[in-house]
Amino acid sequence: MKLQESSFRSGLRSGTTLALILLFLVLIGFNASGAALLARLFGQTTLSGQLPPAIFGIVFIALLAVGQGISSALASRRRNAARPWVSSFAAAGLAGLALAVFILVMGSLYQNGADFRKTLYALSPAYIKFLTVDQMPIVGAAISLAVMLLAGGLAGLGAIYLPFGRYCQRVKTMFVRFWNLDGSRSLRANRYFKFGLYAVLVLMCFFVPRVWGSYWNYVFGLVGIYVLLGLGLNIIVGLSGQLVLGYVAFFAIGAYSVALLNAPIPHNLMWGFWAAVVIGILLAALSGFLIGLPLMRLRGDYLAIVTMGFGEIIRVLLKSDLLTSFTGGPRGVQDIRGPSLFGQSFSSDIDFMYLIILAVALALFIASRLQNSRVGRSWIAIREDETVAQASGVNTTRYKLLALALGAAFAGLGGVLFAARNQFTGPEDHVLMVSINVLSLVIVGGMGSVPGVVLGAFALKGLPEILRELANYRLLAFGALLVIMMIARPQGLWPVGRPSLQRKEAPDSPTENDKPNQEAPNG
Amino acid sequence: MTALSSVSFKTPQLVARIIRSVIGIIVVVWAAMRIYNVLFVNQAYGLDTWVRFGITGLIIGGMYALIAIGYTLVYGILGMINFAHGEVMMIGTFGGYFVLEALAAIPAPTLANPDLNFLNAQPLLSILLAFLAGTLAASLMGYLLEKIAYRPLRNAPRLAPLISAIGASIFLQNAVQLLFSPQLRDYTNPDALARGTGWSIEIAGSQVLVTYTGVLSFVLSILLMVGLYVLVQKTRIGRAMRAVAQDKKTAALMGVDVDAVISQTFIISGALAGAAGVMWGIHNGLVYYFLGFIPGIKAFTAAVLGGIGNIPGAMLGGLVLGLVESIGPAALGIDFQLKDVIAFLILVLVLIFRPSGLLGAASVEEKL
Repeated sequence: MKLQESSFRSGLRSGTTLALILLFLVLIGFNASGAALLARLFGQTTLSGQLPPAIFGIVFIALLAVGQGISSALASRRRNAARPWVSSFAAAGLAGLALAVFILVMGSLYQNGADFRKTLYALSPAYIKFLTVDQMPIVGAAISLAVMLLAGGLAGLGAIYLPFGRYCQRVKTMFVRFWNLDGSRSLRANRYFKFGLYAVLVLMCFFVPRVWGSYWNYVFGLVGIYVLLGLGLNIIVGLSGQLVLGYVAFFAIGAYSVALLNAPIPHNLMWGFWAAVVIGILLAALSGFLIGLPLMRLRGDYLAIVTMGFGEIIRVLLKSDLLTSFTGGPRGVQDIRGPSLFGQSFSSDIDFMYLIILAVALALFIASRLQNSRVGRSWIAIREDETVAQASGVNTTRYKLLALALGAAFAGLGGVLFAARNQFTGPEDHVLMVSINVLSLVIVGGMGSVPGVVLGAFALKGLPEILRELANYRLLAFGALLVIMMIARPQGLWPVGRPSLQRKEAPDSPTENDKPNQEAPNG
Repeated sequence: MTALSSVSFKTPQLVARIIRSVIGIIVVVWAAMRIYNVLFVNQAYGLDTWVRFGITGLIIGGMYALIAIGYTLVYGILGMINFAHGEVMMIGTFGGYFVLEALAAIPAPTLANPDLNFLNAQPLLSILLAFLAGTLAASLMGYLLEKIAYRPLRNAPRLAPLISAIGASIFLQNAVQLLFSPQLRDYTNPDALARGTGWSIEIAGSQVLVTYTGVLSFVLSILLMVGLYVLVQKTRIGRAMRAVAQDKKTAALMGVDVDAVISQTFIISGALAGAAGVMWGIHNGLVYYFLGFIPGIKAFTAAVLGGIGNIPGAMLGGLVLGLVESIGPAALGIDFQLKDVIAFLILVLVLIFRPSGLLGAASVEEKL
């Protein structure tokens, strides 16, 4: 009896959290967007400004309840509570009850002509009708409650009594066994096999941009530019451990160097794209070095705020009338001439995709080589503990400056490509949010991990384009993701494998692998 | 080899020091020349204008000081920058806004004026309620912020809480934007406290307006600062806070509930930021989701300027920053658009040249 009660109670506790999150999601109108996404999966497009059929809203909350039901049932089972599925019913029921009460109250109020849109922006009469499944409020509330209770509870029952977990385990074991088979190992180690893989990759990079059209070229070009930015910031934050929030300043320097050198207004220099690439990279690296010099004394959070100050200063200066004659002022620089190759224009979307792929490949090569070099190890030493690194003979100032300059150079290249591809750049391209986006992707991917950066760029820049119904909620998700990642998985989605440089001795030191990216707490 | 490495070890630091001094000299000489130019050569502004700038600066500075105290309290106890503090203030502004809106919707007709609403019938009570609501909302936000985003990271490496704070800040901005719409809204003041009304005093032959909202904000911020000082120095809670700030472990051994003290700190700093937020709304008149960002950064600048971790320093820093920011563009003879640049420059310069701030605190380098 006691045990079952604890199962029930834990269900109520997680149900309270779910209820709050659910109500928040309903209040910001997330339900409708999620339902629209589901509707697109089933082949029904929803025009912007319109709502999908209400049935998808029900499916959406049912999916939420299923997730909650499975997780609370498994959590209860981990605590060895009796009848763990009770907690699923309790959690989903409580959340469903909260939703039902909300729908009932709002539905009745709206039936009597209330309108809260002035305060709560998302609650349009159509949205309330969508929530009540086009029924009377009491019926809509009952449907929501019943669906959530049943979906959550049954999912909990299923998670406990159906052998899904065992299936997953079995598939995983099979995969691991295959991965470790002698044949597959020797195949992976085989040089010709590797060359074959690379060849396929190169062919794909060559043909895919020609096939999939300009929209995807645009999206993946953006992802590529963010991979570049992420690789650069990864050197600064992930490897050398300096939190820089003004990264967008270097991006702006790259963008403005191609803009000012290759646009008719304001200077009409027309030096050509390739000169601008070199100058942009060099200028960005130089500015990274110069900004870094006076700041080498600062660590951690102070460096973050000061560099953010620098980024904001640059943005305000670009926007102000002071520099209008030099940088085009708040209206930015238009008609930036694209690159040309052997006298022919090389600036269609496909050509830019090739350029970006080339730049990303080069950057990936440089970044991964740097990481495993003496320089990379010095950076990691500085990140782990600056005082100890200094005591062991690492010239911390020099290596930190090197990291800043190199990271800035990557950003400069990214900025050049970005501005040249858009044929425009202005102060609004260089807001703090760019820095935050890049920082998020580095952290989500895993600080210090090169494949992590690629994964993070795809997840944070590519995925929102694919899930475009949810585009409004992207920044909200970024914020939540940063907090959640720090708490639940600080090493990132694809953490870097540190032991490659360590002697492989015994399996009894797993602690090194567990949290490879954490700085030692100093001070 | 050793000689070589020691040379290469010192050179960048020497270069850095030289660059730092050169920057310092350039900034000081340039500022002195501009100020001399404005004051004695051009004489662009009369005394009345300077007084106007000074009044604006003091009013804004009082708000900066209140927010800065929050940064300093949290930094003193946890050693972290509460990056989302500006958003806590924004929540406070919204709290006050909704209460004022609600009160304006309550009719309170009298015989003389049948259209009267509660807001104008009881202006003082309404303002009090608005401050109460803003303060409560912001303290609740501060409490939740600590509990959800910072407490799990108490023993994590240094960067983790900062990144979490950045995430929380973005989350709050966007949550408010999605909940309450991205539009700018006018703050509803009672008619007796309408913006732009006030006493006018005569200085150097022209009228200088001292707004009611400004006086209310400034007086209230001074009162709150005095109250906070008493709270920290004279009460049991304050003593516990100071003990935890000095040494968490020893304080815990002496029977101080460290978790509770940290929660109280966030509640108190949230309350101050919330009050500042309502003042911001009443005095400046606009409320929107991004409103907390700039005051947040500026108040952080103020906290650093006064010496972070130092409560009187934060108060002084806030007032000084407010004054510099409103007088600075005129005194230096530069565009008023660049007001924000001055604050950021002060932040950068203070951190480069005097990281311990005006009143001094534990050195930034040692604390880190």
